Amino acid sequence: MDTLQAGLSGVLVGGLYALMAAGLSITWGVLRIINLIHFGLILLGAYLTFQIASSWNVDPMLTLVITMPALFVLGALVQWTFDRLAISELSSLLLSFGLLIVIVQGISNLWSADFRQMSAEVNPYATRSVSLGGLDLVFPLPTLLAFGLAVVLIGGAHVALRRTFTGRALRAFAQDRAIAAAFGIDHRRIGVLLAGAAGATAAAAGMLFAMSTALTPATAFEWFGTVFAVVILGGIGHLLGTLVAGLLVGALGAVVTVLISAAAEPFVLFSTIVLVLLLRPQGLFAHGGTR
Amino acid sequence: MRAALSRRRGLWGFPLAFVALAMLSLYRETIGFPVFYLTLLTTILFWTAQSTSWNILSGYSGYFSFGQAAFVGVGAYTTAVLYGRHQVDFYVTLGCSAVLCAVLALFVGGLAFRLRSLRGEIFALLTLAVPFILGALAQLNSAIDGGQGIIVTVPPFPSQLGLFQDYLYLISLAVAVGAVWAAYAIQHSRFGWALSAIRDAEDVAEGLGVATFRYKMLAIMVSGVIGGVSGSIFALQIGFVAVTSVFNLTVPLFVIVMSVLGGRAHWLGPVLGAGLVTLLQDRLTASGLADWRLVVLGGVLAVLVVIAPEGLYVRLRARPWPALAAFAVIVVGLRLANAFGGPLDWILYGALAAVVIAVLPGRLGRKTGTARAERTDRPEPTERKAAVPDRPSPDDDEPAPTGAEVLVECEDVARYFGGVRALDGVTLRIGSGELVGLVGPNGSGKTTMVSLLAGTLRPTRGTIRVAGRDIAGLPPHRVAHAGVARTYQIPRPFGSMTVRDNVAMAIMFGREPRSLPRARAAAERHIGFVGLGHLADARPDALNLHQRQLLEMARALGTNPKVLFLDEALAGLTPAEIDNAVEVVRRIQRGGTSIVIVEHLLRVVNQLATRIVVLDKGTLLADGEPRTVMRDPAVVQAYLGKRAHA
Repeated sequence: MDTLQAGLSGVLVGGLYALMAAGLSITWGVLRIINLIHFGLILLGAYLTFQIASSWNVDPMLTLVITMPALFVLGALVQWTFDRLAISELSSLLLSFGLLIVIVQGISNLWSADFRQMSAEVNPYATRSVSLGGLDLVFPLPTLLAFGLAVVLIGGAHVALRRTFTGRALRAFAQDRAIAAAFGIDHRRIGVLLAGAAGATAAAAGMLFAMSTALTPATAFEWFGTVFAVVILGGIGHLLGTLVAGLLVGALGAVVTVLISAAAEPFVLFSTIVLVLLLRPQGLFAHGGTR
Repeated sequence: MRAALSRRRGLWGFPLAFVALAMLSLYRETIGFPVFYLTLLTTILFWTAQSTSWNILSGYSGYFSFGQAAFVGVGAYTTAVLYGRHQVDFYVTLGCSAVLCAVLALFVGGLAFRLRSLRGEIFALLTLAVPFILGALAQLNSAIDGGQGIIVTVPPFPSQLGLFQDYLYLISLAVAVGAVWAAYAIQHSRFGWALSAIRDAEDVAEGLGVATFRYKMLAIMVSGVIGGVSGSIFALQIGFVAVTSVFNLTVPLFVIVMSVLGGRAHWLGPVLGAGLVTLLQDRLTASGLADWRLVVLGGVLAVLVVIAPEGLYVRLRARPWPALAAFAVIVVGLRLANAFGGPLDWILYGALAAVVIAVLPGRLGRKTGTARAERTDRPEPTERKAAVPDRPSPDDDEPAPTGAEVLVECEDVARYFGGVRALDGVTLRIGSGELVGLVGPNGSGKTTMVSLLAGTLRPTRGTIRVAGRDIAGLPPHRVAHAGVARTYQIPRPFGSMTVRDNVAMAIMFGREPRSLPRARAAAERHIGFVGLGHLADARPDALNLHQRQLLEMARALGTNPKVLFLDEALAGLTPAEIDNAVEVVRRIQRGGTSIVIVEHLLRVVNQLATRIVVLDKGTLLADGEPRTVMRDPAVVQAYLGKRAHA
């Protein structure tokens, strides 16, 4: 029963992983930019949620009204700059690594390196949980929200990619830039929109993070391993794959923690990435897909 | 002459630098050199060793690692646990660090470099994860750390060296000089050339006979050993080893900034970068801006990637005197005025002024060309053969045999991609001295055939023999050594090397390995043979398509192949250029090399080939004399019919 509880909780937490990974995956797959700043945006989203909710005493969910547009603009701005500078894939990694350090250290200077958490009055979600009576299973509310938001946002984005003109243009662009451009697809506008949308998901992920745990700037770096595992497992640029991979990684981590120990979690995760890269380099779920 | 000079610098320069820098500590009191400066220098030396370690792997080979902290951490913890906790001799722990880091490096490399789909970005992300995993391991395992950290006391050292700071400075100096020397030696050896080729175009290098996997493993191992030993000494320097102080992201940030700032392709780059960045960090801390150090550094990295990705070394080579003048004027000026802090600040301001002068946009003048053309102080060829013989292969005197001996044998070869049968049951023989035209409509399997024969793809079924040797399953560089060379439809020269060195690369790593000076001399002949003699010192990006195709041919000839595959070597050329290329191909054949020419231009193939092989939908449609084959109704229908349709 412990294992089942752990696995299911892990799946719910995995929603947060998926949400963090989705923006990274889609910008990497479509725009060929590995945007480490995304981690900075998530962190910024978390701190903004904390600050706005604490100082104005509003529900953390409502802060999304401010943080999502704010990070949309920021994400779009970063992409616009990348585009102007005509950055290659590898240089984007270096450039965004430098900027990520700037953001994290900046946040650390602003909010200090200590742990910060919203008080219980401001954030009623942290302490609440939902129990499934008959099965004796308990799930903290923030993890349920993470799962729900991940499914809604990533699923919505997936449908948008399939059904809307912009989505189709994006997929064409991901497959062959030159041809797409020849058919009149404005890569600059599309890229900026996409990066903005990725920024907005970073705001949602940050909000969920602030809601469930205490914040410290260094966590941005701790996300690296897990989030890139999700991106690679799901297949770069493949949204639904990212969602499933996130849930899987969440479940795997939780089950390993219960069955073996917390120390084993990174090893299992790392070995999984390597195995996947060896056996299915295109990711677990990609069949052509977005990329 | 220059070769001799440069060799002498390698032999004497580094010991001399070591002795000169060691004097600062040994005669510290005599010359009145403050201990504080010694401590700063020790830090600079630590970062010099670390960024050199990073540069040998990532700068030279182009595989960026974000995992430098793994080497620092493993080194520091090896010393902390063995020496700090279990009182093992300190020098023994240095050896243990070297071994452990080498094993770790080979493990990571063995995993990563075996991935067929490995791209630089994936490698970077994999290495990003390694320090976190090791850090978590140390944190949770009480036999290593367990979360409290480990105190590392001062080891016994000869008292005549002076203070502990002197001792630490001297051993850091020894490691740093050793590291830089290693980087220098690698850059000037076959190893360094192989790494440059990997950085420029890895699979091309492999196809020319460079054992890329082995060289990458060697690079990551050397990097690990240096990083580990230097990490061990870092444990002494910090005196207290904790997970957060070694396994953190500032380590890769520092080494990457330093190497990118200084210049990645040159051994001196990381040294410049380490000095400048450490001084900047120190001065920021001294001015009470410690919190903003990383902000400044991250910003510097971001700006550099955009404005000066090639690094300071190259820029300083282009404008040495203005930069030096700026440095001197600022330092002397501030000294005379005695304003803005102390000597360290003046040096920093001077250095920053020099940097600004160096990276200032604008024309770099004619010196850029030479600085870039030489890129390094690689030895010039000592002997140069003036005469340009008209045959490239060493077996000049043998008459060209025709079809006497079977060189390439394909038995029932098939290659499927999932459900797609790109090739299905092709049996083909190519004799020595033949000039075979391989034709067929688009998608008929021509390129698959070439890739199979060059070893970049493995057949799903069937056997392929080159000169009697089964090549199925051999890595491409071994196939190259068996006598197969190819050119690419879209030419892929090594961008950082001159035309001559592109060809010299192929000769150095070909069937009969040669030293660089001899390879360069031999390259001269091949370049002359294809008619690029006047462009020997040019960069590939200065060549037009036709010239690049000729370079591809010269480079392929450099491996001294028995059979040469020309993959659409005439595509996109003007009629005059085609005539010229055809002439070169004929000359190559007269030299005794078998040629398989993959081509769409039937006129040319008809004219050139002694035999034509037609593929259609993955099967062999016809094989024989050009005239007979071209009259075959099946060929006309499959090939010309489709072409007309297209």
